[in-house]
Amino acid sequence: MVQTLSTLLSGVGTTLLLLVLALGIGFTLGVPIGILHVYGRRPLRLLLSGYDAVIRGFPAIVLLFLIYFGIGSLPGVRIPSLHAAILALGLRSAAYQGRLVEGTLRMVPMGQLESALAVGMRRTMAIRRIVLPQALRFSLPGLANEYSIVLKDTALAFTVGVIELMSRAKFLAASKREIAQVYLLAAALYWILTQLGLLGFGWLERRARISGLGSGRR
Amino acid sequence: MEWLDTGLQLLVGLRMTILLILAAAPAGVAIGVIVGIARVYGPRPVRVLAFAYQSAFRGIPLVIQLFIIYYVLPRAGLRLDPFPSAVLAFALCSGAYHSEYVRSALLSIPTGQLEGGLALGMRQSVAVRAIILPQALRKAVPGCGNELVYLIKYSSLAYLVTLVDLTGAGRLEAYASFRFFETFLVVGMVYLAMVALARTGLRCIERRWRCGLNERAATRA
Repeated sequence: MVQTLSTLLSGVGTTLLLLVLALGIGFTLGVPIGILHVYGRRPLRLLLSGYDAVIRGFPAIVLLFLIYFGIGSLPGVRIPSLHAAILALGLRSAAYQGRLVEGTLRMVPMGQLESALAVGMRRTMAIRRIVLPQALRFSLPGLANEYSIVLKDTALAFTVGVIELMSRAKFLAASKREIAQVYLLAAALYWILTQLGLLGFGWLERRARISGLGSGRR
Repeated sequence: MEWLDTGLQLLVGLRMTILLILAAAPAGVAIGVIVGIARVYGPRPVRVLAFAYQSAFRGIPLVIQLFIIYYVLPRAGLRLDPFPSAVLAFALCSGAYHSEYVRSALLSIPTGQLEGGLALGMRQSVAVRAIILPQALRKAVPGCGNELVYLIKYSSLAYLVTLVDLTGAGRLEAYASFRFFETFLVVGMVYLAMVALARTGLRCIERRWRCGLNERAATRA
């Protein structure tokens, strides 16, 4: 049991790496994508909607296969499985976070942007300084949700050979008798990671709260 | 004529995917409605149990749920074939999400509605069924619809328990032909088409069910 647990724990590092990088890519791309969904020019919006529809219409695992086996087998391209998994999860998360940020940007009352323009801010600055900070606060519950979704999606990386928590579990299950123990322990670890993340986001939400500003649910 | 054969194999896989979805979707919705009601109106132990179910199935990756049902349950004496295993896993997982939408929809109905029903002499079960539920389910439709769309994509995990669904067929064909990129692109596009179709259908349902209801959320946005 202790040995099983320690083997599983040795996969947690890679799982967290996948999680953090995928969420990071998702956030860095998702915020600009969200802004462009709302404030971008029409052709750009159409282009982003196309990206969005494709990425969100593909199952995570098919996207992963497309990148790892598909693009990775094109002549002259070589993608390590870890990179493919990070890319697939990151691109997916970017699409979802983009939609999330779009939604919360629209929750900020129009008067906020108008008054910022009225006091002489340029549009980009008004969006960055006035609208976005409020929208990102509204986004926190959605981001917590995204955290738990991406965490669970990292468990698909084993299908392309990334050695993380799930693949450790699979190895152990294949080589040992106590399949039940292995998968139940792995399940417990994922559950704990999910709960820890949700606690963290709850804390962040309280930290970022500004009294007087709505919680986002109006 | 190699591509024709590939197409045929993918169609066979698509049939399996559709069967999986058709079996798991109603089961998931049913679980969701029951658990959602249990979490709001059940006696305390039932509420706790429902909460534990939601927390477990929403906090653990579906792959592991699937493996536990397929590989671990037989050790406890419950041996399921791949197809029922996959359907059970998908239904339990999406049921956990449905139930959360149902719960918040139930909570969004003003308590005066229930009290009004009780004041007229209805029993609580009747009042919930006749007054609260019809309103709440309408409100849960967008969220549950989203979850159904997720289910279409989740069904791609069925190949992990040896089922040859669309993704499984795509894998086999890709390995046989070494055309990985084209094959997975086509497979993805088929999922995309299913998702688009489902969204259109759900929008129709939403429009139809909303009619005559003064939806505050809809007018605010």
